[in-house]
Amino acid sequence: MTARGRFAVGALLAALLVWPWVAPRYFVFLASVILVNVIVAIGLNLLSGYTNQLSFGHAGFLAIGAYTTAVLTLRAPGLPVLVTLVLGGLATAAVGLAFGVPCLRLGGLYLTMATLAFGFVITEAILNLDGLTRGADGLRVPAARLGALALSSDAARYYLTAAVATVMVAAAVNLVRTRTGRAFLAIRESEIAAQASGVPVAAYKTLAFGLSAFYTGVAGGLFAFVVGFLSPDAFDVFLSVDFVVMIIVGGLGSVPGSIIGATVVTVLHDGLAAFQNYRPLIFGALLIACMLFMPGGMTRALSRVRRR
Amino acid sequence: MRFILSLFVLVLGLAAAVPVAAQQGVSDTEIVIGCSNSFSGPLAYTGEQATRFGVDLYLKVVNDAGGINGRKVRTVYYDDGYKPQEAVANTRKLVEQDKIFAVIAPQGTPPVMATLEYLEENRVPLLFPFQGSPVIRGKKYVFSGMTLYDRQSRMMIDYLVGQRKLKSFGVLYQDDDYGKSFLTAFEKDLARHNLKMTATESVKRGVTDVSAQIAKLRAASPQAVFLVLTPGPGAQALKERQKIGWTDTVMVSSGPLTDEKYLALAGDASEGVEGLSLWPDPVTSELPGMKAYREAMQKHFGKNEPNRYSLSGYFAAMLFAEGARRAGKNLTRDTLIAALEGINGFQSGILPPVTIGADHETQRQGFWVRVEKGRFKQLTDWLKSD
Repeated sequence: MTARGRFAVGALLAALLVWPWVAPRYFVFLASVILVNVIVAIGLNLLSGYTNQLSFGHAGFLAIGAYTTAVLTLRAPGLPVLVTLVLGGLATAAVGLAFGVPCLRLGGLYLTMATLAFGFVITEAILNLDGLTRGADGLRVPAARLGALALSSDAARYYLTAAVATVMVAAAVNLVRTRTGRAFLAIRESEIAAQASGVPVAAYKTLAFGLSAFYTGVAGGLFAFVVGFLSPDAFDVFLSVDFVVMIIVGGLGSVPGSIIGATVVTVLHDGLAAFQNYRPLIFGALLIACMLFMPGGMTRALSRVRRR
Repeated sequence: MRFILSLFVLVLGLAAAVPVAAQQGVSDTEIVIGCSNSFSGPLAYTGEQATRFGVDLYLKVVNDAGGINGRKVRTVYYDDGYKPQEAVANTRKLVEQDKIFAVIAPQGTPPVMATLEYLEENRVPLLFPFQGSPVIRGKKYVFSGMTLYDRQSRMMIDYLVGQRKLKSFGVLYQDDDYGKSFLTAFEKDLARHNLKMTATESVKRGVTDVSAQIAKLRAASPQAVFLVLTPGPGAQALKERQKIGWTDTVMVSSGPLTDEKYLALAGDASEGVEGLSLWPDPVTSELPGMKAYREAMQKHFGKNEPNRYSLSGYFAAMLFAEGARRAGKNLTRDTLIAALEGINGFQSGILPPVTIGADHETQRQGFWVRVEKGRFKQLTDWLKSD
C-alpha cells in the first residue's frame, strides 16, 4: 500500500470512530444502514463482479441472515451477538452453497433468472413458516446483547455495525489478492481459459456463491438489529435491484467500488425519499446516466480523473 | 461574588426558559406534522389520497382561515412503498431531521408496527394510523384512526344474528394479522350467541386465485360468508362465486374491504354483496360535513374525485386540528394528548359525535350497506360497538 493509500485508510477509520460524536442522531442511523449495504455490496461483488455470476436474488440472502439472527436472538438470548451474526452468516452460506451447486449448469441470463426466482421463493418461505417468522405480521427484533451489555442505543448499534464492516472489508481486500481471488478473476475473464490454466472452475464458482451468501447473511443480521423490525415486505425484488445498482455504480470487481457504490446509492435513496412517487423515475434516470457516462463505475471514473 | 451570583441566576433562568420554548415542531407561527406513507408500491393510491388529498386538504381549509391559534400547519411526507425498513428510516428522519411535532395518518400494519416502539420511546404522538389491528390499543402516545377490527366484528355479528336472524357463518380471510384479528374476533362474538363458525378458509397475501376456497365454502353452505380480504382477491372471490352460480349465501365484506375500488374490480359480480361501511358515501352523502368535504375538494383539487381514503385523511386532520385548538397556545405533546382525550361529543358532520377518552379510540361505529346497481346503499343507521 502506498503512503497515500495508508493515509486514506487511516482517515476513513478515524472518521468511522468519531462519527457518532460529531454527527446528528439521524446520520448515525443512516451511517449504520450504509455500512450494512457496504457488506452486501462486497458480497454481491464477489459473486457478480469477480466471477461474473449476476444475482438478482440477494434480498433473499439478506432475509435469511436477518431472520436467522433475529430468531436466534429471540430464542437463545444468552448467545453473544457476534456468535449469532456468524451463525446467521453460516446458515445463509449453507443455503447459498446448496443453491450454487445446481446453478453451476446455468450461465448468463438463465442464472440471473434463477436468482430472481430464488428471491421470490424466500419471501414465500418466510410467509409460510409463520410459526418461526410470524409471517406477514412481521417480527420485532430485540436488542443485540454482548454479554450483559444490551446494544440498544443508536451509537452502540453503529459501533457494532462499523466493527463488523471493518473486519469484513479487510477480509475481502485480502481475499481478492490471494490465489482464490485471482482464480475468481480468471473465471470472470474466461471460464475456458481458466479451466485450461488449471483453475477448478466449478469449485471456485460454488465457493463464490457460498462466500457471497455469507457476507450477505452477516449483513442481514446487522440489518435486523439496525432496523429493529422484519417483515417479508422488506425483501422484495427492488431491494435486490438496489444492490445490483450499488455495484454497477461503484464498480464491478472492486472492493473500494462496493464501498463507494453502497454509500452513494444509500445516500441518494435517502435524499430522494421526499420526492415520493417520482423517486423511481429519478433513480432510473441517474442509473442510465451512470451507465452511459461512467462504464466501469465511479472507481474507474475517479482513477481516470486522477491520472489526467 | 455579586457577579457570580448574577451569572448563576442567568444560567438558572436560561435553563428554566429552554424547555418552554423547545417543544419540537411547534413555533409561534407554525406546527410541523408528517408521516411516512405509501406513494409507490401496492398501496400508493391509498397513501397519496389520505395524505396529499386528505390531510393536506383539511389543513388548507384551516390555514386559509388563519391556522390553529395563529399557527399554520405544515406537513412533510416521505415514501416507504409499504416497506417497514423504509418506514423506520423515514420516521426517524421526520423526528430527528425535520423535527416534526407528531406523526399523522401513516398506513398499513407492517410499516406502522415497525415504527411503534421508536415513537413510544421518543414520546412522539402517533395519530390516527390507517390500520385497524387492535395491537395498537392501550399505548400512551397512540390514537387509533380506524374502527378497530374487534369492534367491527362485534357490530357485524350482532347485526346479522340479532336483526337478520342468521345462524350459520363461514369466513374467507387473508392469512395475516388483518385476517386473523377478524377471525378470532368473529369466533368470540359468535360464541356469545352460542354459535360457531361452520367453515373457515384462508388466502395467503398476494394470492389472487381463490377458486378452491370458494368451492369448499359452497360445500359447507353457510347462510353468510365473511370476506376479510383486500380489494384484488375480494373481487376475485365475488367473480368466482358468480361463475359457479352460487347465489343462496349472503357475502359480507369487512370494513376495510367495503370500498369503491373493490366494487369497480368486481363489476356486476358485486351486486347484492353486503358489508360494514366505516364512512358515509364520499360522492352522494348529504351530511353537512360531507358537503363541506366535497366543496373543499372541488376548490383545492378540482380534478381529484372524492373517495373514502382522502376522506379518512381529511377526518384525521380535522381531529388533530380540534385537539391542537383545545390544547391552546401552550401546545406540547402532553397538552395535545390531554386535549384529545378530553374530546367529548365533537360534531364533525361526517361521523356521529366523537368522544375519545382514555382508551384513545377515535372511532367505534359503522353502518350496514348492500350493493345495488354498483353503489353502496345504506341499510341501517349507525351501528355502535360499545
